[in-house]
Amino acid sequence: MSLDPAVYSDLLLSLLPELVLTGWALVLLLFVAWRHRTARDLRIAGWLTLVALLSTAIAVWWLWWNRAALQGPGTVAMIALDDFRWVADWVFLGAAALTVLISFAYLEREQLLIPEYYVLLIFATLGMMVMAAGADLIVIFLGLELMSVAVYVLAGLDRRRARSAEAALKYFLLGAFASGFLLYGIALAYGATGTTNLGLIGGQVSIMGKPSVMLLAGLALLIVGFAFKIAAVPFHMWAPDVYDGSPTPVTAFMATGVKAAAFAALFRVLNQAFAPVAAWHDILWWLAVVTMIGGNLFALGQRSLKRMLAYSSVAHAGYLLVAVTAGGAAGTSAFLVYVIAYTLMSLGAFAVLSAKGRAGESDVLIDDLAGLASQRPWLAFALAVCMLSLLGFPGTAGFIGKWYILIAATSAGQNTLAAILVLTSVVSAGYYLPVIMAMYMKPQPVEAAHAGVHLDRWGRTAVAVVVVGLLLFGVWPNRLFDLAKSAGNSVHATAETAATPP
Amino acid sequence: MYARWVLTALLAWPLLAGLIVLLLPARLAKYVALAASLVEFVISVPLWWTFVPNGGMQFLFDRAWIPAWGIHFTVGLDGISLFLVLLTTFLMPLSILGSWTYITKREAGFYALLLVLTTGMIGVFVALDLFLFYVMWEVMLIPMYFIIGVWGGDNRLYAAIKFFIYTFLGSLLMLVAIIVLYLHAARATGVYSFGYAHLLSNAKDLGPAAWWLFGAFFLAFAIKVPIFPLHTWLPDAHVEAPTAGSVILAGVLLKMGTYGFLRFALPFFPAVALNQNVQLVIVVLSLIGIIYGGLVAMVQPDFKKLVAYSSVAHLGFVMLGIWALTLQSVQGALLIMINHGISTGALFFLVGMLYERRHSRLIEAYGGIARVVPLFAAILTIVSLSSIALPGTNGFVGEFLVLLGSFRIYPIATALATSGVIIAAAYLLTALQRVIYNPLKHPANEQLTDLTPRELAVLIPLLVGILWLGIYPKPFLQRMEPSARSLIEQMRPQQ
Repeated sequence: MSLDPAVYSDLLLSLLPELVLTGWALVLLLFVAWRHRTARDLRIAGWLTLVALLSTAIAVWWLWWNRAALQGPGTVAMIALDDFRWVADWVFLGAAALTVLISFAYLEREQLLIPEYYVLLIFATLGMMVMAAGADLIVIFLGLELMSVAVYVLAGLDRRRARSAEAALKYFLLGAFASGFLLYGIALAYGATGTTNLGLIGGQVSIMGKPSVMLLAGLALLIVGFAFKIAAVPFHMWAPDVYDGSPTPVTAFMATGVKAAAFAALFRVLNQAFAPVAAWHDILWWLAVVTMIGGNLFALGQRSLKRMLAYSSVAHAGYLLVAVTAGGAAGTSAFLVYVIAYTLMSLGAFAVLSAKGRAGESDVLIDDLAGLASQRPWLAFALAVCMLSLLGFPGTAGFIGKWYILIAATSAGQNTLAAILVLTSVVSAGYYLPVIMAMYMKPQPVEAAHAGVHLDRWGRTAVAVVVVGLLLFGVWPNRLFDLAKSAGNSVHATAETAATPP
Repeated sequence: MYARWVLTALLAWPLLAGLIVLLLPARLAKYVALAASLVEFVISVPLWWTFVPNGGMQFLFDRAWIPAWGIHFTVGLDGISLFLVLLTTFLMPLSILGSWTYITKREAGFYALLLVLTTGMIGVFVALDLFLFYVMWEVMLIPMYFIIGVWGGDNRLYAAIKFFIYTFLGSLLMLVAIIVLYLHAARATGVYSFGYAHLLSNAKDLGPAAWWLFGAFFLAFAIKVPIFPLHTWLPDAHVEAPTAGSVILAGVLLKMGTYGFLRFALPFFPAVALNQNVQLVIVVLSLIGIIYGGLVAMVQPDFKKLVAYSSVAHLGFVMLGIWALTLQSVQGALLIMINHGISTGALFFLVGMLYERRHSRLIEAYGGIARVVPLFAAILTIVSLSSIALPGTNGFVGEFLVLLGSFRIYPIATALATSGVIIAAAYLLTALQRVIYNPLKHPANEQLTDLTPRELAVLIPLLVGILWLGIYPKPFLQRMEPSARSLIEQMRPQQ
């Protein structure tokens, strides 16, 4: 089975997962138009979403299984058919599924009986998948917009709370601004090379030899646009307020899925279209350094748990940027491993937070967790594992991911960057450890301070999946590596073949 | 069969036992933990006889772990690590028995963490794959962090986070250094492996990078030892930790730093380690540690803090012995590592026993208690004398060998270090006098009870160790000699 994108049926087949998910999104839209009043309707919509995500994952798996046969005959495609796309798709689908699991109880508790929530979640996931699949700047932009618009609405879902509305507005205005940058960058890149296809741009650039000013300007604008989406310092200003104000499951989804999608697209753009341009390595080097230092230092000053997690996600964007800077196959594999680990640990932390908090959780201080371990030992254990993993402690997936990034960085000759990464990780101990300290080493402030802390069955399932995943990948990452390695090689291989013009 | 599996069993058993302790009802925790640690000790004892002193690695076991990066589960022992493993398994049951009545809350967690800690400590000493070494090095951090933070004294949170961040800072830079070494060896040979022998044989021609790498390893180990300006975490951690925590911190954890120098920092970067200026700096810092540690111990009103600072001084001797790099001085350093584990461990136990009775660690709160608790007083005297290095006790042999071996290389520094022995006598004998002699002025002390059989069971094995090592250290020296000799030959091939 060899797919030729010039043939319509083949093109559709290569978009099978996206089509499946679109179909489900439409079914769900019809359903919520018809039933949208009771909590039971909401739950059914949630279940349908899980089924949709699962069937999409199976479609991805099917294409992945037949991947050897999929490589088309060197025609220029708008859709990539490589392992990188499949692995990234699984990350998005997994993040969405875990978000659904923690949303069941949350939406009912917060009286957010809005079944459209799940439709928007599916559309956002769809956008992410299109972004990871796009081998053309226009496709990537379409995916980005589809994802962003859905997430703007999700951020403002809790419309009774001013914080939520503020988050949505802020996210929308700055996000629209960032999209403008991105679009302008695409236009300049098109002007410089006459194409928006990543492979063809790569070919043009390598013929050009010295890149033109217009191309460099386009590249810079593209990086700015993506830097907004991944919340890299100094383009991170929106992140704390938006993360803080949004409903917690949405925050979890934004911090993991949205960020991973923006990174995946950034990876593809830089490695396939701009591989021969040396300039972006320097730009990203500085971006990574500033993001790691800034994110960690800002997080150090936070007392609210949710805000601390928001800044910590900025810091982790910095670590991921190190993988981008390192580049090459190793950098891509390191990125995938880290993003999988990060998605798990970050979602786990937000899930536990959603159990503790009320009314958006923005007022849960780290000290409010005092004594949690004696009252809710399993929840405390789960949060402790997530914190240690975020810290990059051996035995957890976070450590394996960090180690991989360090190897990628040092083998690319970026020893200074590696040293900065570990030094800022030490700083991060200053805000992750107090969480553990509060839970295990401080007594409860008042009797029954944690009486209301509760996760329903599905939330517990999500947290259990996260903890098992973190510990398993932390001790036995072999399978994960094989997957990430083939995915990393696939992007690199395409980049190399693309460098020779057709 | 035994030789092949023993190290794996020593690593796996405490971990498994720790899980069992967590699952069983809390009131059984200490019994199960004690039994588990005794089993661990019994498993480790035949190492003493089956070990062949030939300078090479023994009891090797090797399995692929993460083949994608060439990471193996490789463990092995030589004459340097043998005693540290035995010291660990020897101190563990005593620590558990010593915590019998001291730990009253969340017992299951405490004993489970102690057992997990055992795995981490033994793992550090036997790992022959640098990835495994790093993982073990970090893994033992978490149980200790919890032991200090949950069961420690009033200022425990501060002490716990300080301990964690200091160690974490050092070890993360070491992590980068390990990766750079790994990639250097891979570029030279095309073989991707974290194996100790592989990295060691390819650590040559690093050029100026060797200085940075040595610096990273040095920082990690120096914080752990601790060497003078990096020692400030130690008094806090030792004083705030519960008795078992202090015993293990002093007895085993500090030795990880000196072990790291012997196993990694010296053989990997001989050119840097033997550089005149580097040696000068390290010897001066060790000397400062010996003298400053002793002087600060002298003015401590808190008995536990006094013992903690005495550790800084003792480890200064170890560093001096390692850096002099003669056969006697290295053997002496190894012996002090064992002696310090036994003597300082015993001192922490004794202070803990006093604290359990009177809930005060201040030297001032006691005085004249020899009349009330004669047995306690006798044992405290013997242990203190061994810590001072009185001939006939273990302390003497180690410090004498270090001074003897170092004198040839650093005569002035050694002469100054000798004053450390006198300072030790000054602070420990003064404290001894103020605690057990002098008039009995506090009425509360008249009701003190003497050592119970359980406490004697903790102390007597340590006393046996003190006398055995003091009178007949030959079996120890014999077993460590070939390894020490091969280390020195590796470092100074011309001699």
